[in-house]
Amino acid sequence: MRSKATGKVCIIASVVGCIAVLALCIRAGSVYISLSDLIKIIWSHVTGNNPGNVAPMTDSIFWTIRVPRALTAFLVGGALSVSGAVMQSLLQNPLASSYTLGISSGASLGAALVIIFSASLPFYSQACLPVAGFVMGLLTVGIVLVLSMRIDRAVSNTTVILIGMIVSLFVTGVMNLLATIYPDHYKQLWMWMTGSFSSRTWTHVAILFPVCLAGTLILICFARELNIMSFGDEQASSIGVDSRKMKIIMIVVSSVLTGVSVAFTGVIGFVDLAAPHAVRRIFGPDSRIVIPMSFVYGGAFMALCDLLARTVISPREIPVGAVTALVGAPFFAYVFLRERRHS
Amino acid sequence: MMDIVLENVTAGYGFTPVLDSISLKISEGERVLVAGTNGSGKTTLLRVIARLLPFDGRVTYGTSDSGSIRRKELASVVSYMPQNGETYFDYTVEQTVMLGRYSHMTGLLASPGSEDRKIAAEAMNRCGVYELRYRALNELSGGQLQRTFLARAFAQQTPFMLLDEPENNLDVRHNSELTDYLNEWASGTTELAGASVHNTVVAVMHDLGQASLCLERVIALDKGIVAYDGSINDMVATGRISDIFGFDVTGYKRRESKLWNLCK
Repeated sequence: MRSKATGKVCIIASVVGCIAVLALCIRAGSVYISLSDLIKIIWSHVTGNNPGNVAPMTDSIFWTIRVPRALTAFLVGGALSVSGAVMQSLLQNPLASSYTLGISSGASLGAALVIIFSASLPFYSQACLPVAGFVMGLLTVGIVLVLSMRIDRAVSNTTVILIGMIVSLFVTGVMNLLATIYPDHYKQLWMWMTGSFSSRTWTHVAILFPVCLAGTLILICFARELNIMSFGDEQASSIGVDSRKMKIIMIVVSSVLTGVSVAFTGVIGFVDLAAPHAVRRIFGPDSRIVIPMSFVYGGAFMALCDLLARTVISPREIPVGAVTALVGAPFFAYVFLRERRHS
Repeated sequence: MMDIVLENVTAGYGFTPVLDSISLKISEGERVLVAGTNGSGKTTLLRVIARLLPFDGRVTYGTSDSGSIRRKELASVVSYMPQNGETYFDYTVEQTVMLGRYSHMTGLLASPGSEDRKIAAEAMNRCGVYELRYRALNELSGGQLQRTFLARAFAQQTPFMLLDEPENNLDVRHNSELTDYLNEWASGTTELAGASVHNTVVAVMHDLGQASLCLERVIALDKGIVAYDGSINDMVATGRISDIFGFDVTGYKRRESKLWNLCK
């Protein structure tokens, strides 16, 4: 048992570490910048002052390209990890996530449809992609749940995950089909299937930030219920949690987080499994800490993966979904197998 | 008077009902054993009373109807200890027992106060898991896990306790301590909405000898209906017990007790 003081130190160290990672991700790349210049640029934009002797070109590269890109990666990584952490507790399965439940692939299909048919909302065109992502993500998880209920009266969590995988693969198949039928959009659709943060702007950050903040805060408010629900529906109900209502709230909020993220960046796997898992190893299973820390760790992990994606074979970019899988899968397998051996 | 009343309750898991139109009343202060063969509907009965299963018919808790009572409210009247509780995640014993205080905490982000800690500590103490409070659940033996869930049910502080095979996995000493604690608890009262209600136990147990040390009334189920409802002593004295289980229980128990006659 770790004492409360050590726990607090761990939390503070993690937050500081993750900010450092974010700074590293902004700084690293083909264009060099000194740390002091970086601070000057950020400070000047935050306060509205002149950045002084920093070249305008450098300023523009950093402020309009790298900072929003790194922030988007951080927010998306955080949002996916939080929704993963919630799904895992809710379904009492460490392999549950928005990805395995089909929310991610559904959301990417939603984004694809918007792109192909150039759909747009009449009032706020910027919101079209995230809304489509959220709606389709929710629709997919809805289909998964209805099918699971049909097949298995008890709606056991293994059934839900199996059906989720099947539906997810099916939706990916539809994506592939669309990409073939509409070759003009092939490149864009390919990006949505594998994930990318390239050319993300402040507009994306402006939408992602409030959504991530609100979603994560709502989920933190229900962390106590989530703890109880990780003992299963029956025990949760007998302790006094309205598990049906809670499940709906948490799945909808997680779908918003995933849907909006995926609609902007495409399907990115593994971060939602690996980050919450690592967080539980460090801080224990209490959701009141697991949720916020998953955001911090998942965000930092994603920012690092994006750094690798754009630098390893620069100037070409590796899809970030491939990086998270290449880095995350062996790591996850290692942790999982080691635990198995221990228990 | 706080009673739980079941009227024409039918419940089950598939198309065949496990409980078939059962009606019964459990009054506050009673100590009830639910007996019967495997699959006779004992667990289903407890789950219906705890409203963990959809059912036809009516269940009332005092003046509240099962259809209208809210989850949290019900959790302050009835606590339920399932046969096998577990979770994948590494919660500690203390964290697990503390979850039983949920229905007593109000407010969105409320965390356990000193009163909650005191009650949880007392429950852990009485169930013999206080020393294990910082251990993770997956490091516990079956019996220790059982006592942890028992402690959580006690920490919930409800006047009605539903226990599904609480003696499972317990060694003989902890079984004896459980019997003592149940006796002590059942003779007390619990505050509920300003009134004090006599504590009530409804337990599924397989060892009738042990059950008779802390329980009095027996509801015996057979194929989904109440086959016997009366005192445990009468059920044994009249030999009805052998009908219910469909074999010579008395003869078997006599042979079994020969071991204890060896004690001088």
